[in-house]
Amino acid sequence: MKLMFKAVLSSLMLAFSGIAMAAGELNLYNWGNYTSPELIEKFEKETGIKVTITDYDSNETALAKVRAGGHGFDLAVPSHSHLPIWISEGLIANPRVDQMPNFKNVAEEWRNPDWDPGRQYSAPWQWGSVGVMVDTSVYDGDINTFGIILDPPEELIGKINVAPEMNDVISSALLYLGGEACSGDKELLKKARDKLVEAKPKWKSMDYGVIEKFAGRDLAASLYWNGAAFRARLKNPDVRYGYPKEGYSLWADAVVLLKDARNVEEAKTFMNFIMTPENAGLMSAFARYANSIVGSEKYMPEDMATAPEVVVPQEFIGAGKFYPTCSPEVQKIYAAIWTELLK
Amino acid sequence: MVTSSRPFSIKRMPGFSLLALTCFFALYMPLAPLVIYSFNAGNNIALWEGLSLRWYVAAWENDLVQSAAIRSVVIAVIASVVATSLATMVALGTTRTRPYRGQTSIYAMVNQPLMVPEIVTAVALLIFFALIKKATGYHGYAYLISAHTAFCIPFAYLPIRARLEGMDRVLETAAADLYATPWRSFTRVTLPLLLPGILAGAMLAFVISLDDVVITEFVKSAGQDTLPTYMLGQLRRTITPEINAISTVLLGVSVVVVTIIFFLSRKKA
Repeated sequence: MKLMFKAVLSSLMLAFSGIAMAAGELNLYNWGNYTSPELIEKFEKETGIKVTITDYDSNETALAKVRAGGHGFDLAVPSHSHLPIWISEGLIANPRVDQMPNFKNVAEEWRNPDWDPGRQYSAPWQWGSVGVMVDTSVYDGDINTFGIILDPPEELIGKINVAPEMNDVISSALLYLGGEACSGDKELLKKARDKLVEAKPKWKSMDYGVIEKFAGRDLAASLYWNGAAFRARLKNPDVRYGYPKEGYSLWADAVVLLKDARNVEEAKTFMNFIMTPENAGLMSAFARYANSIVGSEKYMPEDMATAPEVVVPQEFIGAGKFYPTCSPEVQKIYAAIWTELLK
Repeated sequence: MVTSSRPFSIKRMPGFSLLALTCFFALYMPLAPLVIYSFNAGNNIALWEGLSLRWYVAAWENDLVQSAAIRSVVIAVIASVVATSLATMVALGTTRTRPYRGQTSIYAMVNQPLMVPEIVTAVALLIFFALIKKATGYHGYAYLISAHTAFCIPFAYLPIRARLEGMDRVLETAAADLYATPWRSFTRVTLPLLLPGILAGAMLAFVISLDDVVITEFVKSAGQDTLPTYMLGQLRRTITPEINAISTVLLGVSVVVVTIIFFLSRKKA
């Protein structure tokens, strides 16, 4: 009996190990539902490299797996907030992205981000912002402020949603009060807490999935992300996205080469590949977020290339900022405020 | 004063039916919208736009869903077969012998995956397998299959052991008395009687493997997304009823398998 199991087991192992690594492969480890299938198809056709995509659902999961090693991935797509951790822990190699031929297509403002100075480590993937969505048929005043959420005008009270994301919500409150995200100023943090607790009774919900609720006009305002605001406007033409003038946070995801990658050349080819306007346009057309490549708008669906939610209007660019993950002490205070807010 | 000698029954406790109904409601109600919206003709999961099977078609035609589903089933079949074989041996070893020292600790060890929080096992396996992966360079399915096998064993073991304990030893003793070799009395007497328990155990193990998320998410290597980890990856972006459709199919498979287990284990030998 035992022998039989052994035989079965070993033949199975043999069958599976048949799927060996051939030349010209690439293993991409990316957020789920974030990689355009057309982009991958085009890449495979042009280069003959076979791409395998594996999903993750949070920066933490991705970090944990890559830290442990032996994962078998070549490329990963961490967020800017976590990228410095990947660099400082030596998890990623330096492929000199800034010297790749297609780096010339990267827009000026994306060539030297704080979280990857000189842009040697990471090739741009997609980015977005945290702002406010407003149904302008309900309220037609100034929407470029977090006051929409924190000191809501009469018309909006009881019709407001707030994305249940601790960092985005508390950081937005700090920015609104004139501070910086992740500020260690206890006084200011206390003020932010008071402001949030005071505003909460005027909200209707703290939820994801707002697009259909704006379409059905159940909500008139929300603290949310630009991509969703864009999709909501396509369903309800009165929806506008506000870029808070007090300052708002930006996020970006970028492709990095893992230190223990086994397909280094293929990985570099891919990093270079996604920096052409056409390919970056394909990428955005699928996930519906902006990229950092000049001229990629030409390759996006028309409704997207001109959308003010995707292409940040010139006047609002200055207020957007990238914030790293907060220090552990500030994280603790954030968590305490968050708990109180959710009560 | 109640004088009747009716035996105590929980069914007659005040509020029993209400509590039971509330529990069933809380357990099953959330599934109703999931299933209903899988038939939505529209693009979203909260706004009804008419009846349609388009999301089932979309899921069926999605290559990623297909390959993840096939992967899930293959892993579940192999893991449940191996786990059930091992569980049968353990069950025989813990019931068809004279009691021996350490028998209870064997129960505890076999049932360990039921006690240890899944995330703990997942992180432990992540670190342990990473060492092996680095040392050997092998990234195949053996990791996922052995992890799934390990946590499926107790689920296969419990019904098999329950069946063995309920089986009359007299038949086996009679076979031995009639000069059947141990192997022969096992294959001709014990095994046929045990079969419903083994099948129930195997199916339970199959469902448990098919549904696993946490351990799989941490153990999988490149290109090894199963259906549940694929679905988890979809949640960051706007969810379409395609996810409802996949969930409904998964739910249907689980219900069918559990129903079969019920009938198998109810049948008296």
